[in-house]
Amino acid sequence: MKVKLKYLFFLSLFVIITSCSSDDNSDKDEEKPTISINYTQGFPQPCVQLVKGETYSFRAQVTDNKALASYSLDLHNNFDHHTHDDQEGICDLEPVKQAVNPFIYMENFTVPENSISYEIAVNLTIPDDIDTGDYHCAYSVTDQTGWQSRTSIDIKIID
Amino acid sequence: MLYKMLSICLFISVCSIANAQDSFNIKGSVLDANTLKPIEGANITGTNLFAISTSTGEFFIKNIKRQTSSITVSHIGYASEIVTITTNKDIKVLLKESSTVLNEVAVTGKSNIKKAKETPMVTHTVTKEFLDKNRENSLMQTLSKIPGVSTINIGSGQSKPVIRGLGFNRVAVVQNGIKHEAQQWGNDHGLEIDQQGIENIQIIKGPASLLFGSDAIAGVVHIQPNKVPLQKSFKGEVNILGESNNDLLGISAGIRARKEKWFYRTRLTYRDYADYKVPTTKINYENYVFELHNNNLRNTAGREANASVSIGYVDNTIKTETLFSNVNAKNGFFANAHGLEVRTSKIDYDSSNRDIDLPYHNVNHFKISNNTTVNTGNHILHFDLGFQNNKREEHSEPIPHGYMPKPPNTKERVFTKNTYSLNARDAFNINNKHNVVLGVNLEHQNNTIGGWGFLIPEYSRFTAGVFGYNQYKINKNWHILAGARYDYGVLKTSAYNDWFRSTVKNEDNTTSQVYLQRAKNKTLDFKNISASFGVSHIKNNTTYKVNLGKSFRMSLANELASDGVNYHMYRFEKGNLDLKPEVAYQLDLDINHTKKQFSLGISPFLNLFENYIYLNPTSNYFETLQIYEYTQSKVFRIGGEFSASTSVIKNLELAASAEYVYSRQTSGLKKDFTLPFSPPLSGLFSASYKIKDFSVFKTPAISADYRITAAQEEIVPPEQTTDGYNVLHMSFTSKLNIFKNNAPVDVRLKLNNVFNTKYYNHTSFYRLIDVPEAGRNISVSLTIPFK
Repeated sequence: MKVKLKYLFFLSLFVIITSCSSDDNSDKDEEKPTISINYTQGFPQPCVQLVKGETYSFRAQVTDNKALASYSLDLHNNFDHHTHDDQEGICDLEPVKQAVNPFIYMENFTVPENSISYEIAVNLTIPDDIDTGDYHCAYSVTDQTGWQSRTSIDIKIID
Repeated sequence: MLYKMLSICLFISVCSIANAQDSFNIKGSVLDANTLKPIEGANITGTNLFAISTSTGEFFIKNIKRQTSSITVSHIGYASEIVTITTNKDIKVLLKESSTVLNEVAVTGKSNIKKAKETPMVTHTVTKEFLDKNRENSLMQTLSKIPGVSTINIGSGQSKPVIRGLGFNRVAVVQNGIKHEAQQWGNDHGLEIDQQGIENIQIIKGPASLLFGSDAIAGVVHIQPNKVPLQKSFKGEVNILGESNNDLLGISAGIRARKEKWFYRTRLTYRDYADYKVPTTKINYENYVFELHNNNLRNTAGREANASVSIGYVDNTIKTETLFSNVNAKNGFFANAHGLEVRTSKIDYDSSNRDIDLPYHNVNHFKISNNTTVNTGNHILHFDLGFQNNKREEHSEPIPHGYMPKPPNTKERVFTKNTYSLNARDAFNINNKHNVVLGVNLEHQNNTIGGWGFLIPEYSRFTAGVFGYNQYKINKNWHILAGARYDYGVLKTSAYNDWFRSTVKNEDNTTSQVYLQRAKNKTLDFKNISASFGVSHIKNNTTYKVNLGKSFRMSLANELASDGVNYHMYRFEKGNLDLKPEVAYQLDLDINHTKKQFSLGISPFLNLFENYIYLNPTSNYFETLQIYEYTQSKVFRIGGEFSASTSVIKNLELAASAEYVYSRQTSGLKKDFTLPFSPPLSGLFSASYKIKDFSVFKTPAISADYRITAAQEEIVPPEQTTDGYNVLHMSFTSKLNIFKNNAPVDVRLKLNNVFNTKYYNHTSFYRLIDVPEAGRNISVSLTIPFK
């Protein structure tokens, strides 16, 4: 019995060691997608002022090592200064105020299948009847594996 | 030799001194025949006389009346013996253990070691000495020194148990026989158990559903009832703790006393701590930068106030104890990024490092439990009754999100959970070969919710389990344990609708404003059979164990019926009503070789999950938040622990241990990925050196713990890889003989993270937002006993 137990034990040790080194060849996706507005057509740029009633093309470049999946665009107010963007430079914020009829835009989209590079382009008209002031514009993108990247930009909506 | 080790006998030598008068005195000592170590607390009783053996095993009775003809010597774990005394003759008695008493009632150290050797389950017994020597900020941090045990930490004062890489509801925490029911599925809170006053913990590293039902799929942290105080005794202690890193001040005082049959114990603990310090001045998370004021991880201060009182009765046939306890804590969470949402705030977090601002939580855990053991001779009946009320409130700054307008108050989530438990079991012995235990566990719980953030629905749950197992003693060196269990459970979830309207697109492209339904009224039932079979073999100084177990875990309400934004994690979590209860098979091996100056242990395991429940980040969005959906996959895991220690060199003890787990999902959407929060390969080297006594310092010792942890490259979305690290902890312990008539004061000086190393713990909750572990910490602890 002792011999058998020892055998079992060494067998499991062997399995541990081999299993540690045997999965380098698996085709696992360990990379997040990327998202960028740092190019000429990238929109909106930090601190940009959007005018009510105007239509804008929101553009960002997304890439992934394997396959992109979905993206979302979210515009919400920052009247309470609840957060700041992750871009370089700081925009001047207006005084804190209560929201009355803030602009809320939340849409999800899918990227054409098997794309590893894609330019987001969403045409959006800023409604006339919403509160002006500080807003956030947030992009996020996922790949097929479920990795996500986000970016957020401080903007303003003016009359 | 081995037979001696296994059978614990009581050896008593009673020397009676002849006296010419009507009365006489006797003097004797009580020793364990096997170890020849003195037994403290043996009761010596007779007509109108009573004595207790001291820590050196001695007792002395004066003025015994001449007509007294016999005394009874008893101690828990040993069978009592009646000793006839005459005035002028020495008496020698050899006592045999009572195996049934030993298996069920005894909680003494020696018998536990024996029990642990015989049972094929892979267990680890944690003693009070270990707890006192290694005490950290939370119970699980203290236990994480044990190979195979790690923690998920949330700041400095809270942590959750992880056994071999699995945590949350996959580890059952059992206190005094009752399963501890808090909101253990949640990410960001700890155990809600006072770690002061615990004397004995048994850790089962492996499937233990057989004994504990659902949730004991990866292991059990079993906090065992404390020893019954000695007869006619009164003991107390005050523990004072101070820490430099988070300016912690803790005080805990406990007393325990017993007349003859009645006893009580009580304890009060209060801890108050400030923000903890990390060895960095700024934290980079994604593209955000958070500057830290004075290295303080802002708003991680907290406080904790605990109280417990118990009253008990013990005699030869019955032992019963009823415990009332309450644990109350308020803990702040790192303000800028609680979970994954980045926020700025008007709150001046840095004005004080002791205040607890938003976000924070308030937890209260109230518990009543009764443990009763009745010894009818052949049968030992055991009952555990429990009531627990767990209330947790999470407060955050009210912030509008999506279609949700600004909430009216800070009360984001409130969970109130009531759990009623009843366990009964009967242990009996057949032919001195079969130790049979038959039992039943019943549990009812209901969980209500409140606050403006919805995550899990209200639910009620009833579970019932019956089990039986037999530990068969083939001979003194071979034991077999076989058992089976059947569980049945019903879970009822309640409907929930948002308190605000959301804009929803209809099929005809119009939009409407609706109160979205997040959960439905639903009744689900579960059945499961679990089983365990194992063999243990003791050969000289080596113990071999093989155990095969099947365990299960009932799916939880959040896994089945979540449907909401988790603001803390900034994601949308979706349950799945089709999830089956998790079932896992595990093969355990354990080889332990212990000699006087040397010990070596190795415990590999192999584990297969048929359907591991996993919160899978999908590639889809709901209202621009990434959807995480509960799914199931097959999982293969293998790993183990290794430990060795030696005391070959005088006064120097050296120990080394290592732990490793390899996990793979072998099916499903994350095939080939590991499991979340997988602990990396880690080793711990410890050295402890006893110094000579000097001035008031008795048995002083210095020790050093050096932990080497490898990088964790094995990750699953949304985790990130974590670099390896080396960290050194030092401590000095000693007894101080300050008070002449009292036991010595225990003093402990600890220096954690000696070099103020900046490192990341892969299994820390704050790892996700790139917060390093706590920096250097000096702690001083004094334990002052009184009588």
